[in-house]
Amino acid sequence: MLLEVNDVSLSLRRDGKYSKILDHVSFQVNKGETVGIVGESGCGKSMTALSLMRLLPDKAKLEGSVELQGEKITNYSKRKLEKVRGNQMSMIFQNPLTSLNPLQTVGTQIEESLILHTNMSKKERRVRVLKLLNDVGLPRVEELIDEYPHQLSGGMRQRIMIAIAMACEPQLLICDEPTTALDVTVQAQILELMNEIKEQTQMGIIMITHDMGVVAEVCDRVIVMYAGKVVEEAPVVELFQNPKHPYTRGLLNSIPKLGQRKQKLGSIPGTVPVPENMPVGCRFADRCSHVMDICKSTVPQVTEIKENHQTACWLYDEEGGNKDATTGSNQSQTTLHY
Amino acid sequence: MDALRFIARRLVLMIPILFGISILTFVISNTIPGDPARLILGPKATPETLSALQEEMGLNDPLYIQYGNYMAGIFQGDLGQSTYSQRPVSEDLVRYFPATFELTMFAMVITLLIGIPFGIISASRKDKIADQITRVFALMGVAMPAFWLGLLFLLFFYLKIGMFPGSGRLDTGMSPPEYITGMYTVDALLTGNWPVFRSAVMHLVLPGITQAAITIGMITRMTRSSMLEVLGSDYIRTAHAKGGSENRVLYGHALRNGVMPVITLLGMAFGHALGGSILVESVFSWPGLGRYAVNAINYLDFPAVMGVTMLIAVMFILVNLIIDTLYFFIDPRLKHD
Repeated sequence: MLLEVNDVSLSLRRDGKYSKILDHVSFQVNKGETVGIVGESGCGKSMTALSLMRLLPDKAKLEGSVELQGEKITNYSKRKLEKVRGNQMSMIFQNPLTSLNPLQTVGTQIEESLILHTNMSKKERRVRVLKLLNDVGLPRVEELIDEYPHQLSGGMRQRIMIAIAMACEPQLLICDEPTTALDVTVQAQILELMNEIKEQTQMGIIMITHDMGVVAEVCDRVIVMYAGKVVEEAPVVELFQNPKHPYTRGLLNSIPKLGQRKQKLGSIPGTVPVPENMPVGCRFADRCSHVMDICKSTVPQVTEIKENHQTACWLYDEEGGNKDATTGSNQSQTTLHY
Repeated sequence: MDALRFIARRLVLMIPILFGISILTFVISNTIPGDPARLILGPKATPETLSALQEEMGLNDPLYIQYGNYMAGIFQGDLGQSTYSQRPVSEDLVRYFPATFELTMFAMVITLLIGIPFGIISASRKDKIADQITRVFALMGVAMPAFWLGLLFLLFFYLKIGMFPGSGRLDTGMSPPEYITGMYTVDALLTGNWPVFRSAVMHLVLPGITQAAITIGMITRMTRSSMLEVLGSDYIRTAHAKGGSENRVLYGHALRNGVMPVITLLGMAFGHALGGSILVESVFSWPGLGRYAVNAINYLDFPAVMGVTMLIAVMFILVNLIIDTLYFFIDPRLKHD
């Protein structure tokens, strides 16, 4: 196992009070595997990623443990963690337009990772940077290395970000909505590049996205998050064919499908609850069309549906005992009518 | 090449600005009630001599003719005759300007050495004790009137503990160094005259700090807010994600981005310091342009007032041109636009 996240909770200080952003999040990532984390805005996807990297604002309270290749990095000091960041564990961010330093050439910015984590000479570093630029599919690398970010397009800048992240051949790559800010054709190219890189390097990838299309394209396994909690986890095919949690079904229902022009696109009523005002029971209860009494009073436990497929929902809990719920589980649109 | 074209364009743009300033100053100084001719001749002058002098000075001509005559003179390097000192204004400016320039440069160096580090400390330790203290000092610097701060300094450092001299540019009895630039510290350095150098620096300290107080406050506050903005940006997060240490991120990535707006403000601060020299020079009896200007205004010495104003305007524009050019080399985005 490459990464093991156990009961990670995160509280951030807002207006003098701590509010819980993540609540006992647990999952694993294996070598060579791409794990998707999906959910609406504000459900804690990005905060999960930033917690792994510990790139959190001041006064953040992080609990639980994160183990990278058996090393418990949550215990690491700031100094020790700096040696891990960008070296064993890298991150790519959402907005490539603002994620690069405008005053440094792209070559300098890629080289910095090598300066920080390797003992390469200046010459070796240049060779390595040129190779990285080549690997991420950029043209005319010899000139590009001395150009500034503003001279490049969004897609090219995201490729530079990938080159920076890949510089020290990390075992784990965290991608926080890497294609959201790019236009569709460029998105496809970047996803293809990520798949290629994964095949070549056998590293683990965490792909954070709200785009189910991206999930289908690159992920092996998917974690669905809602309001700071993991609500469902399944292999990608299983999740698309047999979604269990009403929230997951809602997400899948909101994707337009070819040949269903007349049908109204599904949407989930309401919005994600704010951390300061979390419901006592299931956090999705207020928006759920299957809501039962127990949902509003008690937090549902994680239930195993079958091997590798788990969900936290009272519909599937023995004690919750609602047999109706299992009836229409084959196709998401058959049971739920939003 | 681009930089040269940029500078050339800016130099051409200076011309209309200077014309505007000259018209404005000329009109304003001529609307001040009072008759320079009467002031020169004194209360006992006869009406005949008065009107003769008025005629000679061109005071009876319409304003636009007077302005035309003045500008015609300027293009020949003639700034007119100072009615107070009885010398050509250009000669007076050459005599007094180096003292003011020396004081202002000294104040700017102090501003840079204190303002920027304070701003960085303040931003990197946001809301902690160091930040709070720095902010209070910066606010005090901005809010305190220069002449009052100058008087406090005089009372304490000069009269009470006698640590620094309180007036003039050199100790009494000391003769100025050989004239090269007119700035005593520089000239003393160039001629290797150490006692004079020491004395000149000591005399600079109190007026220099007084003049720098406001600009230090301005620069500290600007550096702080600009650094805070940069520290919250995405590329700083990228730098952390690469594994860069706190200091590496602060000085390697944030600083260069963060000082850019500060550099612009520095040009403004320079202008502020030049203008502020009038008060500071009066308090510390500094024989510079500021004191010359005060006397010129008191004696309705219009050519002198015009000369000082135009000189300060030219300096201000030149400094800002230098700063804009500097930008050109710091920010690669400008080169390609």
